[in-house]
Amino acid sequence: MKKLLSLVLALIMVLSVASFASADELTNLNTYETQARELETWNIHYSQAAADLNVLCNLIDGLLTNDNHGNLKLNAAKAYETPDGGKTWVFTLNEGMTWFNKDGEVQADVLASDWATGLEWVLNYAKNDSYNASMPMEMIAGAEEYYNYTKELTESEGAEAVKELTAEAGSKFAETVGIAVDDEAGTITYTLIDALPYFPSVATYNCLYPLSASLIEELGVDGYRDVTWEDMWYSGAYTVTYFENQNQKVLTKSPNYWNDANCKRFDTVTIKMVESVAVAYQLFQAGELDHVSLDQATLQDIYNNESHPYHNNLVEARPTKYSYQMHLVYNKNLEDGTTPDDNWNKAVANENFRKSLYYGLDLTDYFARTNSINPLSCQNFCYTGNGVAFTSDGKDYTSLVRAELGLDYDYEKYARVDPEKAAEYKAKAIEELTAAGVTFPVTADYYISGASTVAAETAKVLENIFSTCLGDDYVVLKTNTYISSLANEVRVPRKASFFINGWGADFADPINFLGQETYNDTAAYYSNAYSNINDATDENLIAAYKEFTDLVVAAKAITNDIDARYAAFAKAEACFINHVLTIPCSYEVAWELTKINNYSKVYSMYGMQSYRYVDWETSTEPYTTEQAAAQAAAYAAE
Amino acid sequence: MVKYILKRLFQSLITVLLVVSIVFMLLRMMPSDYFFTEEELIKFTDSQKYAKLERLGLMEICQTCHGKGALEDGSGCPDCKLSVQDALGTGYVGRNVFSQLFDFYKDMLEMRVYNAKGKEVKSIDPVNFFTYLSQKSSGIDPFNGKLKEGYTAKATFNLGKSIRLEKNQYVTDVIATKMTASMRISIISLILSLILGVVLGVLQARYKDGVFDHIGTGYTVIVNAVPHLVIYTVIMIAGSALFGLPMRYDATANKPYLTMVLPVVCLSIGSTAGYMLWTRRYMVDELNKDYIRLAKLKGLDDRRVMFRHVLKNAFVPLAQYLPYSILLTVGGSLLVETFFSVPGMGPELTKAISRYDLNLVQGIVLLYATLGILGVFLGDLLMTMIDPRIKLTGKEGVR
Repeated sequence: MKKLLSLVLALIMVLSVASFASADELTNLNTYETQARELETWNIHYSQAAADLNVLCNLIDGLLTNDNHGNLKLNAAKAYETPDGGKTWVFTLNEGMTWFNKDGEVQADVLASDWATGLEWVLNYAKNDSYNASMPMEMIAGAEEYYNYTKELTESEGAEAVKELTAEAGSKFAETVGIAVDDEAGTITYTLIDALPYFPSVATYNCLYPLSASLIEELGVDGYRDVTWEDMWYSGAYTVTYFENQNQKVLTKSPNYWNDANCKRFDTVTIKMVESVAVAYQLFQAGELDHVSLDQATLQDIYNNESHPYHNNLVEARPTKYSYQMHLVYNKNLEDGTTPDDNWNKAVANENFRKSLYYGLDLTDYFARTNSINPLSCQNFCYTGNGVAFTSDGKDYTSLVRAELGLDYDYEKYARVDPEKAAEYKAKAIEELTAAGVTFPVTADYYISGASTVAAETAKVLENIFSTCLGDDYVVLKTNTYISSLANEVRVPRKASFFINGWGADFADPINFLGQETYNDTAAYYSNAYSNINDATDENLIAAYKEFTDLVVAAKAITNDIDARYAAFAKAEACFINHVLTIPCSYEVAWELTKINNYSKVYSMYGMQSYRYVDWETSTEPYTTEQAAAQAAAYAAE
Repeated sequence: MVKYILKRLFQSLITVLLVVSIVFMLLRMMPSDYFFTEEELIKFTDSQKYAKLERLGLMEICQTCHGKGALEDGSGCPDCKLSVQDALGTGYVGRNVFSQLFDFYKDMLEMRVYNAKGKEVKSIDPVNFFTYLSQKSSGIDPFNGKLKEGYTAKATFNLGKSIRLEKNQYVTDVIATKMTASMRISIISLILSLILGVVLGVLQARYKDGVFDHIGTGYTVIVNAVPHLVIYTVIMIAGSALFGLPMRYDATANKPYLTMVLPVVCLSIGSTAGYMLWTRRYMVDELNKDYIRLAKLKGLDDRRVMFRHVLKNAFVPLAQYLPYSILLTVGGSLLVETFFSVPGMGPELTKAISRYDLNLVQGIVLLYATLGILGVFLGDLLMTMIDPRIKLTGKEGVR
C-alpha cells in the first residue's frame, strides 16, 4: 500500500513538473550581478575569479560539464576512459565542432591540439603569469618541469623568446608534458603523475580548456592575453553581442553551435549590473529581471504580509557551493600581532574546551541572518561540501561522513547541539585549563570588516549566541574590525581566535577539502594560513592532527576503488570533526523570487559549470512556493 | 597676457606632475598582499604571487641568484632572502620606486604600432616618441624595417594597463569609454540645471520674499538636507510607477534616451538647487547696489534692469565655475552612476582604489588633477572676458 501511495505521489509530482515545463517559458533571460562582481577579463585561461568564469563557461566548451544533479556530463568530449586505472585518461572529441567569432562566423575547426595549445599557454610562465598553473602542475606529468623551464628561460633569454614557444609536435612542451593529441582521431591523452580517479572532474575546469593556435597567430601572444569579447573566438552555447562594463552583457545563442539539437538555450541572456539586491528587487517588480535574491528586510516584509503580491512566490534557493567552517586558530597572538595569546592558545588546544563549543553553540540565530524563514536549512555538519563527490551507487560522500559522526540533518531540530554534553565538557575543560593556568572567561577575538554594517549586526548575533550558550563566565566573544584586508591586518599577524570561512571545491574529490588541513604539509592552505597548527606545541593537539593526517594520506593512496577511497576519507573527516579540529558551520541558503526552476539548472558544487544557461526550465510568471516545493520533490525522486 | 597664460600653464604642469608622482609613490608603499584578491591569496603559490608582482613592475627577478633563490654552492641568496631564518631566497627583489616612476613617464611617450585593420601589433617593440621623431627626421627607420606596409605608429599617451577592473585593457581606453558615458548624461544635466537654476534664481530674486521665493528656498533646503540616496530612490520608484520610465540606464534599449531620463533628473536636482541659490544670492546683492537704484529711479523697466544689468553682473562669479563644471562632466557622478548602473567615470576611482588597480588610479588622478587645474584657469580667463574690469596681470586688481 505504501509503495502504491509513493508511486502515485511521484506520478503527481512528475505530472505537475511536466505541467510547468509545458507552460510558457522565457525565451530571453534577464539576470543580474551586483556591481562588485563585474567581469575583469575575457581570457578564460587568465582568470581564477568566479565573476569571470560564470560568464566565460557559456562561451567556450570544455571537455566535460555537469548535469543538474552534479554528475559529470559529456560536453566537447563524446567519450572518456582510463586504460590503466586512473594514471592515463583518454578523451575523444565530438566531430563537427568549430570556433566562431562574435558574429557566429566560423573561423576554424576545434581540434584535439587546441587542448595542448591551451595547456601550453597555462604552463608558460611568460604567457599566463602562472594563472591556473598550480592544478596541472600537481597532477599532470612533466607540467611542473615545463613551467620551471619557461620560468628559467624567461630569466635567461627574456620574455619575448619564451612567448614564441608552442605546443607543436617536437616542441619542448610536447616532449616534456604528459599530454598527447591526435587531430585525426580527435583524442587527447593526459598522463598523470599518480593515478587520480577524480581527474575527469578537472576537465570541467578552465585550466584544461582549449585554445586555438590560429587565434594566437591572429592576435599575437600579448593580443590573446588582452583579448576582449570582440576579438575572442567562441565554441560554446552563446556568443557575446553587447558588453558595456558596469552596465550589461548580452549573450546571444550561437548560430553555429555544434550541440544545438541536444540542448535548450535562451535566445538571449542579458546580465544586468545593479547597485544592490534592493535595486534588483525594484527591477524584478518592474519586470526587468527574471529572478532576484531577497535581503532579509524584504524577505520578512513579504513573508509577514499575506496580502503582499509576492507572498505566495517565495522560493528557497539551493545552497551555494561553499562549505562554511569555524576555523580555529591554534597559534594566536594578542592585538599587537606579536605577543602570543597564551590564554587562548592553551584553551583551544584542549579537546574538552573545543567539544564544549562544538556541542554548545546553537547557531540557529546566526543562520537566520541568511535565512530567517528556515534557518536550519543552512546547517552544516561536515567539512567537505555537499554534492562534491558521489559513491558508485550515487550516494553523496558527506552522507558517509554523517554516518560516521552519527548525525543527520533534521530541519526541525539542530541535531548537533547538546547542552548537557556541552556542560559536561565545559566542566572538564574548566578543571583542566584552570590547572594549566588559564584564566576565565577566555576571550575569543573575532574580526569583521569595519565598513560592513551587516557584518557588525551578524557579529552581535554571534556574541549573543556565545553568551547564551556558553556563559559569560566561560568564553567571551570580542568583535574587532579590520580596515581593508583581512589577510594583511588579521590573518598574517594572527590576531583572530577563529575565522568563519567558506571553501568551494575545484574538482570532485574530498582531498580538495581535507588536503587543506593536513599537518606539516606546505600545500595545506588552512593549516599554514589560518589555523597555524604547524606552530602549535600542545602534544595532544598535534597527535590528533597527526592521526587525521595519516588517515588522509592512506585514503589518498586508494585510487582503484572509489567507494573504498571515499569510505577512508569519510573516516578521516569524521576523525577531524570528532576531535573538533574545526567546527562545521553553515551553507548559504537564501530566499528568492524566480521564474527559473532551480532544479533544472546545472548544479555543480565544484568548478565553474553552474552558470551555464543551458537546459533551464523557466516560466513567464514567478513560480509559487508550492510549485517550487513540487520541483524539489520531483528532483529528489529522480 | 600671453606671458601670464604660459606661466599658469607651466605651473599647472608642475602641479599635475607633482600630484601624480606623489600618488604613484604612495601606491607603491602598500604591502604587496593588497595586490591580490582573497581568492588569489588562497589559490596562488608563492611563485605565482611573485610572477604577478613582477608583471606589475613592482618586483624583478633577483640578479644575484637569477631567480633561483640559491647561489651555486646551494646556500640561500643573500639579496632575496626575506629573513635570516629562511634557507633560500624568493628569487625576486623589489624594484626601486624611482626607476618605476621613470618608466611610468617614459611609457607615456611610447608609440604604439597598428596593422592595416587598426589592430594593435604586438610583435614590434614600440619606440619612444622622441626617439621616433629624431630618427624619423634623420632619415633612420625607427622600426628597423619591421613596420610593414599599411602599418602605422601612433603616440597614444600610454598610462599602462588596468590590472583589475578591466584586466589588461589600456587605461586610456578604459577612461575614454567611461568618459563618453558620463558626459552623455552629465552635459544634458548641466545644460538643464544651468538654465533652470539661473532662470528660477532670477525669478526668486525678482520676487524676493514672495511665495515663489519661499518655494524656491524650501526646494534648495530640502535638496541639501535630505540624503541624496533617499531622493534618488523616491525618483526611481516614482518615475517608474507613475511614468513607466526604465529604472536603469540601457544603451541597448529600444528607446535608449528614455533610460537616461531618471539619471539626468537625479543629477540635475542638486545642481539646479546650487545654481538657484547662488544666482539669487548674487542678484540680491546687486539689486541693493546704488547703480541699480539709480537705474530704477531713472525709469528703466524692471525686466531690462534685471537682465541687462543685474544678471550680467551677478553672473560674473558664477561664470568662474562654469568651465570647471563643464570639465567636471567628464568625471560623472559616483552616486547617480552607481545607482542607475551608468557605466561612467563616477564610481571608477573609488573602485580602482578599493581594488588596488594601480595604473587606473594613476590615470584617473592624472585626469582629475589636470581637469581641476585647467577648470580654475579657464574660469579665470572667462571672468576677464565677461567683465573687462577684472585684470589677471598688472598691479591693481590682480587675481
